[in-house]
Amino acid sequence: MIKYILKRILLMIPAILATSFIIFFAMNMTGGDPVDTIAPENATEEQRDQIREELGLNDPLIVRYFKYLKGMVTGDMGESYVTHKDVFKTFMKHLPATLQLATAAVFVATLVAVPLGIYTAIHQNTWKDTTGMVFALFGVSMPNFWLGLMLIIIFSLNLGILPPGGKRGFVSIILPAITVGLGFAALITRTTRSAMLDVIRQDYITTARAKGVREKKVIFKHGLNNALIPIITVVGMQLSNALTGSVLAETVFSWPGVGRLIVDSIAKRDTPMVTGSIILCCVLMCVVNLLIDLVYAFFDPRIKAQYMRKG
Amino acid sequence: MSEQILEVKDLVVHYETEDGCVRAVNNISFDIGKKKTLGLVGETGAGKTTTALSILNLVPNPPGVIKNGTILLDGTNILELSTSELEDVRGNDVAMIFQDPMTALNPVMTVGEQIAEAIELHQNATKEEAYNKAKEMLELVGIAASRAGDYPHQFSGGMRQRVVIAIALACSPKLLIADEPTTALDVTIQAQVLDLMKSLIKNRDMSMLLITHDLGVVAEVCDDVAVMYAGHIVEIGTADEVFNSTAHPYTEGLFNSLPNLKQRGEDLVPIPGMMPDPSNLPEGCTFAPRCPYATEACKSKLPELRDMGGTHKVACNAYDNPNFKLKGVH
Repeated sequence: MIKYILKRILLMIPAILATSFIIFFAMNMTGGDPVDTIAPENATEEQRDQIREELGLNDPLIVRYFKYLKGMVTGDMGESYVTHKDVFKTFMKHLPATLQLATAAVFVATLVAVPLGIYTAIHQNTWKDTTGMVFALFGVSMPNFWLGLMLIIIFSLNLGILPPGGKRGFVSIILPAITVGLGFAALITRTTRSAMLDVIRQDYITTARAKGVREKKVIFKHGLNNALIPIITVVGMQLSNALTGSVLAETVFSWPGVGRLIVDSIAKRDTPMVTGSIILCCVLMCVVNLLIDLVYAFFDPRIKAQYMRKG
Repeated sequence: MSEQILEVKDLVVHYETEDGCVRAVNNISFDIGKKKTLGLVGETGAGKTTTALSILNLVPNPPGVIKNGTILLDGTNILELSTSELEDVRGNDVAMIFQDPMTALNPVMTVGEQIAEAIELHQNATKEEAYNKAKEMLELVGIAASRAGDYPHQFSGGMRQRVVIAIALACSPKLLIADEPTTALDVTIQAQVLDLMKSLIKNRDMSMLLITHDLGVVAEVCDDVAVMYAGHIVEIGTADEVFNSTAHPYTEGLFNSLPNLKQRGEDLVPIPGMMPDPSNLPEGCTFAPRCPYATEACKSKLPELRDMGGTHKVACNAYDNPNFKLKGVH
């Protein structure tokens, strides 16, 4: 098992290398001169050349890429053109807010979606099922930012019970978590429903019933445990999405997370900040995916056995 | 207390789908005596499994609906029990062995847990007692107790079917329903599993409903035989009666379509045609379209079971003619 984990960690390296390669070149191909961002408006051509020299912008692109890689390995991801702060440290400063929001959103989503998915599955083709699925359709089709704005109007402006934005204590996470979570809930509901529908038709469910197992236990112990793999997959996907891309929700609620950091940096043409953040997001995604794969093994002995063999 | 462990009377089960009503089981009646084994024989789609599931009231609903009938298990009508009463009967008084051991076991539970679950439910045992009893059950079906902690994917098909048997027998039910228990197994393993079931049932004074399409299995295991065709019982009697004085053309066809080892290379004699679509059963005798003895009358008159002497009954219009005889099994 440990061997398997180590192997997976090693496999992250090419993924991260590929991402860094693509993002580094893409950022340099967007055109525009970074010096425009950095140099004061009245800078002379000499000053501008000096800045260019200091940043190593005169080197060929490929040389700069390898220099960047070298820095990355030693933990130096450059510093922001705008704030002149260390990229890695800035990212890490924004990460906790995003982690909190992502976890809260996925938590809200799972709490709503898994029971709803099971409920709609065992009442398949009844009005209960239809109502649940309409909710799911609503969740999927509703734009995130619009829901966020609506929630702000209702709960902050009209009722005045929750703050409209910012990050001040526990209450401020409620609206953004619901906004992001509801969209996720829709997908998780649908996945749970279809996984449960598939599982409750399996022979071993009939075996369990024929043993006299109580219906609730049939559904939760025999059914849900077998339906968990696809559910974990979407929950995991949603978690990595939330970690790297609740940009809209973070903007609507002025949540000081990674998503906003990246969007702001793109607007300011802060190349090192954007490149660094995206690479770190990639690392984060790889880690979450690995964790999800390990969670599989915890729930399914067949997958565990597979990992053991591969290890 | 009656002499019969199971009495099924006038059972009708339909599957009501959007495309129409599938008449899976049409007015069948049969009994199983205490310590007796009844073989329910018929081809795929004849309604055998639906009959079996009805006895546990487990016909998937929707779309399955038990339209009519009584199912008396040791005097109690299964179809009138509440859900929780049913749950007490299932696994305890009646247990079922399923056709495909590859899919009948929960892949994420150890086999020990799966056997122990039934014991814990029905015998007021603690988790630990149940698990220990589960290990004994494993030994009983010929699997080392040390493997109780293994998962189904770590067993072969034959071993899994032994586990399924262990689950079914864990609470010593009065009636065991075995739905084609050997169909999915290799021939050599089939014999092993059959022997095992036979001896366990004998030792525990259990009755069994054995569902199969394999007449060889019936001959080896069953006291009585019921032959099903398109949701009807067409012939029923003791194994001796049905095998040695076969009365229904369909039963005769089944025997004729068996390969004979001693006459290698000889052509098999299949029953021509296919079983009718149960959502669109013909009027009259359902076997008439494939029956070599069918007359015009068969197409309109649904035959009823008639006595053929002893417990032997057959549903065939041809016997309206007192001189009628089958050509005989080859």
